[in-house]
Amino acid sequence: MTLPPFALLRPTTLDDALRELSEDSVPYCGGTELLLAMRAGLHRPAALVDLKRIRELSGVRVEDGVLVIGATERHADLAAHPVVRERLPVFARMEKHIGNARVRTQGSIGGNLCFAEPKSDVATVLMALEASVTLAGPGGRRTVPVEEFVAGPYYAEKEPDELLVDVRVPLRDGLRGAYVKFQTMERPTVGVAVLADDAAGWYRLGVGAVGEVPLAWSFGSLGEIDADEVAGWVDPTPDLSGSEEYKRHVTAVYVRRALARLEQVSA
Amino acid sequence: MGENVVGRSVRRPDLVEKVTGAAQYCVDVTMPGMAHAKVVRSDRAHARITGIDVAEALAGPGVVAVVTADDIASLHARFGHIIADHWILATGKVRYYGEPVAVVVAETVAAAADAVELVRVSYEDLPAVMDVDAALADGAPLVHEQSYEATGDESFKNLSHVDEETAEPALTNLAHEVTLGWGDVDAAFAESAAVVENTVHFPMLYAYAMEPYNAVASYHEGALSVVSTAQHPYMVRDDLARVFGLPLARVRVTSPYLGGGYGSKSYTKVEPLASVASWVTGRPVKLTLSVEEAIYTTRVDSARIHVKSGFAADGTILARDFDIVMDSGAYADNSPLVMAKAVNRCFGPYRVPNLRVRGRSVYTNTAPASSYRGFGAPQGNLAGETNLDRAAERLGISGADIRRRNLVRKGEEILPGKRGIDADIPADLEMVVESLERDRKDVPYYGIGFGCSASDAGAYPISTAQVRIQIDGSVLVLSGSTEMGQGSRSLLAQVAAEELGVDLSVVTVVQSDTSVTPYERTTGASRTTTLVGLALQRACADARARLRDMAAELFECAPGEVRDLPGAVAGPDGRELSFGAVVRQWFGGSAGEVTGVGLLRRDGATQKMPPFWEVGMVGVAVEIDPETGVVAVDQLVTVADVGFAINPRAVEGQDLGAATQGLGGALYEELVYDGAQLANANVVDYRVPRMKDLPRKIDLMIAERRDGVGPYGAKGAGEGTLNPIGGAVAAAVARAVGRWPDRLPLTPERVWRLMSSD
Ligand SMILES: Cc1cc2nc3c(=O)[nH]c(=O)nc-3n(C[C@H](O)[C@H](O)[C@H](O)COP(=O)(O)OP(=O)(O)OC[C@H]3O[C@@H](n4cnc5c(N)ncnc54)[C@H](O)[C@@H]3O)c2cc1C
Repeated sequence: MTLPPFALLRPTTLDDALRELSEDSVPYCGGTELLLAMRAGLHRPAALVDLKRIRELSGVRVEDGVLVIGATERHADLAAHPVVRERLPVFARMEKHIGNARVRTQGSIGGNLCFAEPKSDVATVLMALEASVTLAGPGGRRTVPVEEFVAGPYYAEKEPDELLVDVRVPLRDGLRGAYVKFQTMERPTVGVAVLADDAAGWYRLGVGAVGEVPLAWSFGSLGEIDADEVAGWVDPTPDLSGSEEYKRHVTAVYVRRALARLEQVSA
Repeated sequence: MGENVVGRSVRRPDLVEKVTGAAQYCVDVTMPGMAHAKVVRSDRAHARITGIDVAEALAGPGVVAVVTADDIASLHARFGHIIADHWILATGKVRYYGEPVAVVVAETVAAAADAVELVRVSYEDLPAVMDVDAALADGAPLVHEQSYEATGDESFKNLSHVDEETAEPALTNLAHEVTLGWGDVDAAFAESAAVVENTVHFPMLYAYAMEPYNAVASYHEGALSVVSTAQHPYMVRDDLARVFGLPLARVRVTSPYLGGGYGSKSYTKVEPLASVASWVTGRPVKLTLSVEEAIYTTRVDSARIHVKSGFAADGTILARDFDIVMDSGAYADNSPLVMAKAVNRCFGPYRVPNLRVRGRSVYTNTAPASSYRGFGAPQGNLAGETNLDRAAERLGISGADIRRRNLVRKGEEILPGKRGIDADIPADLEMVVESLERDRKDVPYYGIGFGCSASDAGAYPISTAQVRIQIDGSVLVLSGSTEMGQGSRSLLAQVAAEELGVDLSVVTVVQSDTSVTPYERTTGASRTTTLVGLALQRACADARARLRDMAAELFECAPGEVRDLPGAVAGPDGRELSFGAVVRQWFGGSAGEVTGVGLLRRDGATQKMPPFWEVGMVGVAVEIDPETGVVAVDQLVTVADVGFAINPRAVEGQDLGAATQGLGGALYEELVYDGAQLANANVVDYRVPRMKDLPRKIDLMIAERRDGVGPYGAKGAGEGTLNPIGGAVAAAVARAVGRWPDRLPLTPERVWRLMSSD
């Protein structure tokens, strides 16, 4: 299908952008998801508000022990970013292996979270990291944990007149992390993130892509993570990449693999 | 033998323009005053059309016309080169989800697309038959309530074994039935030391040519001109002439470069839709399908095959019995031929003293199936070869030994009365086994598998070619054969340069225009090198003979006294004249040209059918992740038994491409119906092989024994290597996990289940 006609707006400030937004005038960043949905006739907005020229939405910085990633940052740039690679290597590596080269060089972290495609890598790792997002709207700003923001399949907890401004990841010294995914089709079948801050006794497990939303849990030690038990906590969506039973099975396999990978990661 | 230009991996003339995107494909073609079409498609599997309301669509901005079956009722509104059952636009009822019901013609693609949404089709649902069991059940709803006249396609009659008398008179969902056999199969089974029986399922596939079907057509003053993505422009011309009742000479079909075909672009596809839209509107009309629409236009026949073979204790085949049922979808298209080929090809290049094969091509309310690289061989071979491997296991002999015992030797017939095998298949087998064993890894969950096939290839030997010698000695080669990525353009140039003794750089090949280039039946069945190559050799010889005659006049000697030189002729007194000089001097005005014509028919070396046997000889080694069932291909080994490789790199490209496509169907690809429609009719969910899936080791070998009928002893390539891949992968997986799969593709979950089953 060809794209239906639409107006393209290109504001350069966040305030201008917020003024343009309405039910019928929607944010547009890399377009990797939005334009496909429009091509397929699922979505027909009158106007697209391009976010890529808005300075306030880009950039990566560390602020008070928090890694702040602008919404329009693209996967490929994040994978290569020196600060991300140094402070959060598990995140950089995940970004490096998202989708395909076109998606990585075009798709943004904000678009990924706002679209809330269940088969995502980004939200899984961010939930495990206890990250949050900053939203800006006509009434001001608010901060929402990613676990609440990515609320359902293709559903993010956001008003049509709100924009995702940035993603905030609290940094931890000596954090070890591993992310592994099982993927046989275009998108992951299951992705598993394990994180360990041994000094703080903080352990997190995130499992995504297998069900409608990613899930994350805290543990008191790595030993508490029972792969088979975790497989029972997920609610796999059966589809062409596998039945519910098979997906549960590979979830357990990949939780074990993530734990084994983590063992090889030094702080 | 002293050839200069053939036998070398010359660079393709179309390489740079294709890589840079400069090459012109059909989608790039426009016509003055052109309008754009979009198709209104059925959104149900089987339903009576109770009304089509086009008023709202017609009122849409930029809409020129909405064409329905009623508008074209005065035409012969069906096509199909074997069974003319394929309605251009659904007439009375729809037979599958995605069937064209109307064509909207508008000033822009967007306007046409918008108006498609405004065409209101009302339906009354009919019970649908979504698979072969439903279609063959007693009292099943009929996909076609009428029978259709056969088109009398000669080649089809010749290639299959249609038993006219058993042709079913009562209406059923049986589109076509083919049987083949000899000897006393049941008696042989009774005497067998071991009888091995199994059933295999070959998946419903999509050929996945990168370029979806598209065409631009102009009907003007009793003449039709169409540019399209047709593999066989002459076949399409014949169908279109029948639709409009036009003389063949008033229908012109041109095929620019094709973005891949793999059989899926053989025969008529979107050309009638664009043509009737032009006929109704009086304007040229362009129609470009999406990938999803292309999938619903033509898919690959899925198959269920039951096979039973009897063996002596030493593994000698005593009898084989095959029952093949193919799901051919709503229209026959080329499926009857695919079935005929599956019947010929399922039992393999083995001595089979007693044989019984029954093949049924069945109508269902699914997208129509037609040709696919390998023509029935991938389906049939999977059954025959896995059965053989299972038998070897039962008899305690190796997969190589059971084949060594039964493979035919050169010259032996596998189809009585047909051409004997023109290849040394046992020698090819040794090459494959040696390569696989050399690099066998000693790790758990590792298995090797290999397989053989021999296909009656080349289709029907009717081919023509022309060479036109210009006054500067440069050469135009004209062929109706289509360049679809396989490299025929450079191959034909090599043959002409070789035959005429001219430099490759002065040869230009012009292809696929029914009003310009000479007749070519088809571009398929791996035939171009062999058959067009022979016609071209004859055209070159004809041009040379004319040039000798003309030179004799100039030299004032007898024609017999003129000798051939590379790119020139010599008189009895030693005087030499280049081709260009002969033409210039004979015409006397520094102008003119000489045309050589080459004609090929069933005669002489190409009398016996098939024109040649295309051997498929492959091996794979797989390594399986026992926890997930993921199959990694560690080795891929192929032998191209091509007689003589005119362009070795092109042969390797064909083999790697065919094998990789085969790996797709063996491991990943399958169209899945979920109710009336496909669950994965798109390029994201229909999973094809990717770079990362490429085998660790790839060994593409070429066996050159100069044993083909083609130029320099050449035979065709292109399909062979795909055919045995499925069976080879199935056997390799079985040996790796200790259990025999019964269906492809071997997705991770299927392999995991196979391993977890008791
Ligand atoms: C073929 C393919 C494969 C993929 N594979 C993977 C994979 O393996 N793993 C993975 O994690 N992801 C994958 N993705 C998803 C990919 O990561 C996302 O498509 C991409 O990051 C989305 O970003 P975008 O900028 O293109 O979003 P767009 O398409 O521009 O927008 C998506 C949605 O978000 C909204 N939006 C965008 N930015 C904002 C903002 N700042 N504020 C508010 N709303 C906003 C838009 O209105 C729209 O609704 C894949 C996508 C494709 C197409």
